[in-house]
Amino acid sequence: MKDLTIRNLSKTYFDPYAGTNVTAVHDVSLKVEQGEFVCIVGPSGCGKTTILNMIAGFIPYTGGEILVGGRPVKGPGPDRGVVFQSFALFPWRTVLENVAFGPKMRGVRKVEREQIAHEYLALAKLTEAAGRYPAELSGGMQQRVGVVRALANEPDVLLMDEPFASVDAQTRMTLQEELTRIWQEKRPTVIFITHDVAEAVFLANRVVALSKGRVLDDIAVDLPRPRSWDALNDDARFKELSNRVLQLVRSA
Amino acid sequence: MKQFLLKMWSHCVRLAARWPSIASIAPFIPVVAAWWIVTELQIFPRVFLPGPVEVVRSFGSLVYTGILPAYLQDSIVRLAVGAFWGVALGIPLGILVGLNKRARTALWPLLLFFQAIGDIAWLPILVIWFGYGLTTITVVIVYTVIFPVVLNTVLGVRSIPITLHRAAQSLGASRIRMLWEVVLPGALPNIVTGLRNGLGYGWRALIATEIIVGTSGIGFLMFDARRSGSVVEILLGMIILGILWYIVDSWILAPIERATGQRWGLVTR
Repeated sequence: MKDLTIRNLSKTYFDPYAGTNVTAVHDVSLKVEQGEFVCIVGPSGCGKTTILNMIAGFIPYTGGEILVGGRPVKGPGPDRGVVFQSFALFPWRTVLENVAFGPKMRGVRKVEREQIAHEYLALAKLTEAAGRYPAELSGGMQQRVGVVRALANEPDVLLMDEPFASVDAQTRMTLQEELTRIWQEKRPTVIFITHDVAEAVFLANRVVALSKGRVLDDIAVDLPRPRSWDALNDDARFKELSNRVLQLVRSA
Repeated sequence: MKQFLLKMWSHCVRLAARWPSIASIAPFIPVVAAWWIVTELQIFPRVFLPGPVEVVRSFGSLVYTGILPAYLQDSIVRLAVGAFWGVALGIPLGILVGLNKRARTALWPLLLFFQAIGDIAWLPILVIWFGYGLTTITVVIVYTVIFPVVLNTVLGVRSIPITLHRAAQSLGASRIRMLWEVVLPGALPNIVTGLRNGLGYGWRALIATEIIVGTSGIGFLMFDARRSGSVVEILLGMIILGILWYIVDSWILAPIERATGQRWGLVTR
């Protein structure tokens, strides 16, 4: 796990329908320390997914720089694991094979990579589902697989793009609690994109509020861990922080 | 009475569940029965429309003389050879056109143009080039199989969600491995559809080609029977065509579909 530095990042693209240049991300700078959990929160269209796609290397950036462990990002790579909102599991691979995919690409032998996969599946309480195909699982279970598939490849940075936005509210709370538990156990560097303020405050060490492609503020979350919704629902500090972030996002 | 019918019905359902082949034969029983009744009533002259019994008898004698097995083998081998080359050329071409924008721009209009010139339309010129032989037949089959395979492969490749490409890339897959790990399996359900269409068209094209240029095969059997005025053998040929396709579909194509697209939840059952 390594740190991530974003300096004066910007993204401008030509919109052929409007006939003008559109700037989706303005001069964003952000430093994420090794082992830190940072949430980027903002309304739709604020540029948060664009930032994540640029960090992942899926789309090029037009200004500034992105450094992972000091090395500039040029295209996608296994040093940055990604968890997608649409899960993006390989439908033709079993759960076990999905999780073993990253190690397989690194050339890890079959016995070893399956052992790694089993270990990570156990971490997400998915041991029973190892032999099943993604289509046979519920949305919540599919995303658990998505998270451990990215983690099993031991990336320097874990990028999560609204990963829990397409599961039901109850499952989402469970997944959020599980993610904080897994994060505490493995301590990956995480950048988590969401539009849900409560989710951001619940998960993060730091919340970065974004609006119209600019960073509004960077708020440290000093809530104790392990975190659970039972404890935090009525917690005064949690409410205070959530309100602060919410007002920030809404005011812009 | 109602009780009895319900009991019979449940019995039939259970029987069909235990032996699925019964369920696929059952729909033919009324068709054959109607055919038999029409011929027994002598609505049409026997020479124009022979009954099932004569057709079965003719089947027996053609098998006994060895003509039918030899012709059947010829037709199946021709289709298999043609289909093999059609698939072997069609899938790589489809993947290239599906993935590469430049290849698509260059080849798509050509594909549509040549697809429109149907298989049989090539026969006159092919006969001049290659004569009345296996080469002509193979070219026609390959030509017929390749278009549905290519067009469906392109569709399959282009319908793979971009997030699957991205997921594989950020898990460390190289461009070459992406082909094997993402593109090919992702396009497979469509490739099977293309293969099904291609084989179906190919089978028809084969029979038509055998009628025109053949010296053996089921198509030739039927055309030869017309020359000698044997309606029984023409009917037999037609029935064999239907049965053979049914076997190819339910023993080869359907199991492939069950093991891939359906299993993976990409195709609704």
